[in-house]
Amino acid sequence: MNTETEPAPTGTGPGDAVIRTDGLTKHFGHTAALEALDLTVPGGSVFGFLGPNGAGKTTAIRLLVGLLRPTSGTARVLGLDVTRDRRDVHRVIGYLPGDLAIDLELTGRQYLDYLGHLRGGIDPTVRADLVDRFDLDLNRRIGAMSHGNRQKLGIVQACMHRPRVLVLDEPTQGLDPIMQRSFLDLLRDVRGRGDTVFLSSHVLSEVEDVADHVAVVRAGRLVATTSIDELKQRARRRIALTFTEVAPLDTLRTVPGVVEATAVDHTVELVVEGSMSELLRAAAPFGIDRVVSDEVDLTDVFLRMYEGR
Amino acid sequence: MFRSTYTRTLHGMRGGLVGWGIGVAATIGMMAAVWPSFADVDVAALLNQYPEALRQAFNVADMGTGSGFLNGELFSIILPAIFAIYGIGRGARTIAGEEQAGLLEIIATMPRSRTRLLLEKAAAMATGVAVLGVVLFASMVLGSALADMGIGAADAARASIAMTLLGIEFGAIAFAVGAVSGRRSLAVAVSGGLAVAAYLLYLAGQLLESVKPYLWLSPVHQAISGGPIGPTLPAITLALPAVTLITVACSVPVYERRDLTT
Repeated sequence: MNTETEPAPTGTGPGDAVIRTDGLTKHFGHTAALEALDLTVPGGSVFGFLGPNGAGKTTAIRLLVGLLRPTSGTARVLGLDVTRDRRDVHRVIGYLPGDLAIDLELTGRQYLDYLGHLRGGIDPTVRADLVDRFDLDLNRRIGAMSHGNRQKLGIVQACMHRPRVLVLDEPTQGLDPIMQRSFLDLLRDVRGRGDTVFLSSHVLSEVEDVADHVAVVRAGRLVATTSIDELKQRARRRIALTFTEVAPLDTLRTVPGVVEATAVDHTVELVVEGSMSELLRAAAPFGIDRVVSDEVDLTDVFLRMYEGR
Repeated sequence: MFRSTYTRTLHGMRGGLVGWGIGVAATIGMMAAVWPSFADVDVAALLNQYPEALRQAFNVADMGTGSGFLNGELFSIILPAIFAIYGIGRGARTIAGEEQAGLLEIIATMPRSRTRLLLEKAAAMATGVAVLGVVLFASMVLGSALADMGIGAADAARASIAMTLLGIEFGAIAFAVGAVSGRRSLAVAVSGGLAVAAYLLYLAGQLLESVKPYLWLSPVHQAISGGPIGPTLPAITLALPAVTLITVACSVPVYERRDLTT
């Protein structure tokens, strides 16, 4: 059956929720891997699902793709219940597992052919385009592929049937920076077509360039859901400015967004919340010799969101 | 190249199947090589010196014919063991083993039902055992012709079918336990334990009058009570496919519902 000819499930207009979970809970024995997750993912967006390792991201994703059954609560994809309508959900999703294991003895081509058959046939031009994009050699045995190439193969299989919803668990692991860029471009294209991407990561920088919204989970519970812009506003960055002359510590302290400032010799170390533009504008006239900026500490952002500060 | 999980699974089994097939053929070949020197001896006189119980247990009453020789030497323990072990190995690996290795993580999110996945994999396992059965049949026919053992093709076919059904039953038990639990080691332990129990029951039934009424319960008895190289395949042989189907059928609803492990 072709999904395009089926009546559209309810609640799937542009901007409407494509993924929706209500009180989604999963316990393994006495361990609560996921506790009452309420999530709404709007259609045509890239949704980042963030949290430290072991927070419950993979459990949530495996519930969404029907590999696990909820202990309680529900999850819907395009209005379809992931438990009751599992096969219909499988038609409309593409899934990349976090811990990718594929038959090592097959070649990339054999593997993709096999999955294509299981999907009842796919458009070969879409697949060929993806393979080109990631510069993947399908004639190699998967066992002989590097980790990065296997990851690319995993991405291709998840996307090759043009799924309306892409569910990706830590997709960028193992990709070199150039391929990461191709991957992010791919996600933008998917969004551009009006399709939806749900991806997990434990590193904000991997998703901040492409995600529209992020949800943050910790210890099985949802901490916050926010737009990426808001998250960036709240993000604190550590920056060290080394000046050619005396460090203008007092001037910089009063700049909006600066939370902390300390000076050692000609260098001022600052913690800045949100945009750096004000700070750099204020500092520039004093003659900046060197700038060193740290990665945003995501855990710190999460914790402050968690504490409601 | 692989249009279904069935063909894909069979393809993955081919290497092992070649090895096991060579093993089965070599076993028959060895016996066929020994047979001419054995046939010259007055075996009946020799065996009559054995205690009655032993003669019954190892099915040696009829050692003077080619069929009796193979029934006694191979079909009373070695071949049932080979088929059961092969079936158990494939059965445990193809579903629980692949699940534990994470190989089903993507396959199980394809738009096909888990029931279909399970049944195609069970069919592949059964086909693998059946291929081994065909090798057994061909080796027997060839060995009998070369060594003048006098085993007819129909007799050899019945014996091969019996071994195949036995291997498939234990394979199906391993498969079903693996499907329900997701644990390969448990699948092997349960089905292997049942196979040993089936053999011990068979053996006890040969030796002890008191156990004889329960002999029909043993899959080993069900498989070899007709010789198994012999003129008939007893009706009790049908218990093997019956238990196979019931076992796999029982695992289906559980597999449909349960969490897949990684």
